[in-house]
Order: sequence, then C-alpha cells, then structure tokens
Amino acid sequence: MFRQKSLPYVFLVPTILILMILAFVPLGYAINLSFRNMTLFRPDSSYVGFENFVNLWSDRRFLNALWVSAKWQVITVTATMLAAVFLGVLMFETLSPRQRNIMCLIFLVPVLLPRVCAAFVWRFAFHPLYGIFTYPYRAITGEPLEILSNPNLALWAVAYVDLWQWGFFFAVIIVKLLEALPHQPIEAARLDHARTWEIHAYITLPMLRAQLVALTLIKAIESLRSFDLIYVMTRGGPGISTETLDMYAFSQGFIEAGRISYASSMAVIMLLLTIIIFTIIWKRVRA
Amino acid sequence: MAGIICKHINKKYGELEVVEDFSLEVADQEFIVFLGPSGCGKSTILRMLAGLEDITGGDLLIGGQRMNDAEPGDRGIAMVFQNYALYPHMTIRENIAFGLRRQKTPESEIDQRVGAVTKTLGLKPYLGRKPTALSGGQQQRVAIARAMIKTPDVFLFDEPLSNLDAKLRAHMRVEIARLHKELRTTSVYVTHDQMEAMTLADRIVLLNAGRIEQIGTPEEIYSAPRTLFVAGFIGTPAMNFLTLRPRRTETGWQLCGDSFQLAISGSAFDLHEGQQVIMGLRPSRLRPVDAGFSGPSVQGEVSLTEFHGDSVLASFSLDGVDLGSLMPAEERPREGANLTFGFAEEDIHLFDAGSGISLRC
Repeated sequence: MFRQKSLPYVFLVPTILILMILAFVPLGYAINLSFRNMTLFRPDSSYVGFENFVNLWSDRRFLNALWVSAKWQVITVTATMLAAVFLGVLMFETLSPRQRNIMCLIFLVPVLLPRVCAAFVWRFAFHPLYGIFTYPYRAITGEPLEILSNPNLALWAVAYVDLWQWGFFFAVIIVKLLEALPHQPIEAARLDHARTWEIHAYITLPMLRAQLVALTLIKAIESLRSFDLIYVMTRGGPGISTETLDMYAFSQGFIEAGRISYASSMAVIMLLLTIIIFTIIWKRVRA
Repeated sequence: MAGIICKHINKKYGELEVVEDFSLEVADQEFIVFLGPSGCGKSTILRMLAGLEDITGGDLLIGGQRMNDAEPGDRGIAMVFQNYALYPHMTIRENIAFGLRRQKTPESEIDQRVGAVTKTLGLKPYLGRKPTALSGGQQQRVAIARAMIKTPDVFLFDEPLSNLDAKLRAHMRVEIARLHKELRTTSVYVTHDQMEAMTLADRIVLLNAGRIEQIGTPEEIYSAPRTLFVAGFIGTPAMNFLTLRPRRTETGWQLCGDSFQLAISGSAFDLHEGQQVIMGLRPSRLRPVDAGFSGPSVQGEVSLTEFHGDSVLASFSLDGVDLGSLMPAEERPREGANLTFGFAEEDIHLFDAGSGISLRC
C-alpha cells in the first residue's frame, strides 16, 4: 500500500525539485539583484529599494525598448498568423493531397534552420552591395539598397526573417488542421451557396478557433525569445531602432555599463508585463 | 419542383469503376429510395446528384437542365447528411438561416421563413442553442429545417436516420413521410435499411456493386424480385433458398433435391431439363401442414424456435440447408418435433443458379 502510494513521488519529487531549482533560484537571484546597486566594476553593493525601477521610467532608451518590444510582438505574431492562415487555406483549396504533402515538407525547412543561421543567411541577403535580396534594386537603379542600416526598415526586415521561419511552419500546421476537419459541414456550406472564401471565413476557421488561439499564444511566446535573431542581424541598431527590452537589458548589464542590478530590474519588469498581458489575453479568449 | 433524369452515368476513381451505367428517370414529386448494402455506390450516386462528386461520364438533368458541371448551390437541391453536418459554432437559428444569408435574402424575410420552418418541425424552443446542446433526433430535425428553408426543387437524403436509435428512427421516418405528403418535393433518399425503403418509397432502386438490380414499387420488389440478390436482400426474416434440379413429368415439373421432390405445374416459369435452379420461399409462406395437404411439402425436424412476439420462427434442416418457417406464436412447435411444411406454388420464386436472374416468365 505504502509502496504503491509512494512510487509516483519517488519519480516526481526529484524531477520537480531540479526544475524548480533551475527556474526559481535564478529568478530569486534576479529579483534580489534588482533591489541592489551592483555593477560589474565594484565588488560591494547595497540595497537601494525601488531606485532602479524608478530610474527606468525616466530612461528614454528603456521606454524606446518597451515600445520596440511591443511593436515586435504585434508585427511578428499578426504577420505570422495572417500569412499562415492565407497559405494554409490556399494550399487546402488549390493543391491535391499529394502536392500538399510535398509543399509541407518544403515549408518545414526554414524553421528547421537554427535561428542564428537564418539570421546570418538573411543578413547577408540584405547586404547593400552583395545581397541577393537587394540585387534587383541595385541592377535597376545602380544604387546600393540599405535595409538593415535604415532605422525605418530595420525592424521590418528582421520581422520578415521571423515571418519566413515561422509563417511557413504555421501554414503547415493550419493545412493539417483543415484536413482533419469533418468534410460534411463544408459540403453542407457548398450546398448553402457559400463561396470558397465564405466557407473558410464562416465555417472552417471558426471551427478551428481554439486551435488558432493556441497557435497565436505559442507564437507570442516564441516571439519573446527572438534575442539571437535581432542580436545577429542588427545588434539593436541602427541606433536603438531595433533594441527590444532583452537587447537593452543585455547591453546595460554586460556590454556598455555593467549595471547588473539595473538590467535585472528590467528583466523583472519584462517578466511581470508578460505574466499580466498573457493572463489578460487568456482570460479574454476563454470568456 | 423538378424531375431528375440520369442517362448512362458512371463514376471512376482512377481505374476503379464504382458506378457503371446508371440510368434512371425520377418523376416530379416522386419519392425515390436508393437501397443497397454498404459499398454498393448508392451514396456516390447521390453525391453526384448533389455536385459533391464529379460525374465521370453520362448526363444528369434536373428540371430539364443539364447539371453535370453546375455548382452544388446552383442545382436547386438541398441535402440532409447522415451525421447532420450542422455548423458546430453557430446557433440553431444561424445554422438554418446560413443559406439564405449567403443569398443576401432580406433579414425580415429570413425571420419569417425561419419562423415558418421551425414551427413545422417543432424547433422553436431551441433556436438560441448550439447543436451540441441538442439530442441526435433534434439535430437531424435542424438539418431537415436547414434543407427545407431553401425551398429546393429536389431533396437529397443521405442515410439521414442511421445515427439515431431504433425508436427515434421509426418516429423520424413517419415525420419525413408526413413532410413529403405536405411538400410534395421530389426526393431521393439513400438507405441500407429496407424498412425505411419499403415505408417511404414510391419506387425503390435496389443497387449492388455499382449496378441497378431492380427498380420498382416496394410491392413489386417484395413480391416479384428480379434477381437472387434482390430476393435475399429484401424481407425479414430472410428468404429460404434451395438449390434444385427440374425434371419434366406428365403433369408438369418436378423439382428434385437430394432427399425429396416437389411437384409443381411450372407454368409460370421458364424451365429446362438439366438446368440448376434456386428456389426462394419466404418463411412466412412456408407453414406446418396436416397430413392431408395436397400441395408441395417437405419434412423436417424443428431444431430451433425463435420467439418474435406475434410470431415464431422455426428452423429445420433440409439437405444440409437451414430453412425457416414463420408461424403465429400460438402455434409454436416444440423443438425436436417432426413436422410437414407445405407451401403454395404461386409463393415460390425460381432463379437460374448461374445468372441469378428470375425464371418467372
């Protein structure tokens, strides 16, 4: 009796304990740091209360990073979902099942590429003088095309690479979801005078609502972790035009100033914002 | 309203021909039932009528117009599916009104027509609910309402009652019959249930392996089956079959089994010496008789009796073949009794053993 009851704990407790240590010790350490004034240049530090947090709100670079992060989330999540739904429906309507499978295989390639590799490939493709992406512009006008060094375009260019990796992958998921739907409601809609776009707008996509919401949340979480992509392609530049929160925290903590505590307070704010925003969205969607 | 004409329609999936040379004329207001076992092609034909499957060859005319390549929505048809095929995320009202909305019908007219249809089908209390909150019978009624509201020229039913339990099925069957009496819309109804076919149909089209076995009224199909397959498919309990050899005698014909002979006049059949025939006889027409019985009869020891309520099915073995005899419950014999079972010549069906075609002339 005792053995039966204790067996699950034997397996679960050590695992959960390790995971909790790995997750909560750094978290607690970061929170602790954010209330101190530690830098990488001095060994001693002391508690300063909320000073770091108060200072953040008068730091224009922090506010910019907040704004860039918000833009990054909205652009990448929206673009990925729209492209995926469009491509998924297009494949579903125009290709035979066999052709669809071949396309799905091709569409999976970008996401299989490590993000750092994708970033390097595309940074070179965007190169003003040698890039294949900028080649047509050069050929026609004879001028180099500056994309990654243009503050108005850089964020869009990086977002485009994110879309290239994830849009195709999500299109594969959506076409498979469409294939798994029962055929009869679609056939009934055809008999009900619904045109092709109406079938998807009124029948199939609403039937996939829960799955689409889940995909959106997954993409939102994924977009939060785009540090490597942005780091390789622009390092937050030109200027601070692609500097997201994690980029700025990283450069404050390790690159420019070594202000570990200041960077930690940013990380804590990012964590809180993420938790709050995701909770609100989740509640909204379920209601 | 409109009639349907199918001229030499066939359907191939690659090299596989699932429907070969299907020709049928359905009159205006007629109720036609496609009956056959699973995989006989009946649903495929219905889906070709609906435009959900391409027609490989032949012509389809609905209301006199060639519809081979018309969009499903443009054929003037409405269809009821086996699993209801309701739109799960919409309320009942939205489900029923969906087709009208797509045709840009004015909202006031939609309201009025939804009201009329839901009143006929008793769906008023459920209009605000989602399909999952309804029972199977109610869901199928919504599907019928969704088909009715379009006031189609032709109704297509694809096994609409197969997902319901037996009691509800009988109830809905009556309801569909009543609706057809009221609306008089040309209907094509697919089922594998002979009871539904017999009770609903003006004419039955009996299909097997993509071919028409027989077209006829329920009475014709039951009393004069054209092939062995039809004879075996229709009727519960199933028809008895015996393989026999006909031999000419002075007074007529003798049908010989291994251990018995049956004397008949044979005037209604096209018989030859040396032929092998299969005799079919419904259990209800094979009855225990007294010793003085003058017609054809066989002897058998009752091996099993099954109680059916009003009647009893007694089984006995003859030349290694199990035969059944249906009799009133009060005449139930005891198992092991040795009885004489007799029948009238006009009740037998004779088929050619090779081709399975009826020998009745």
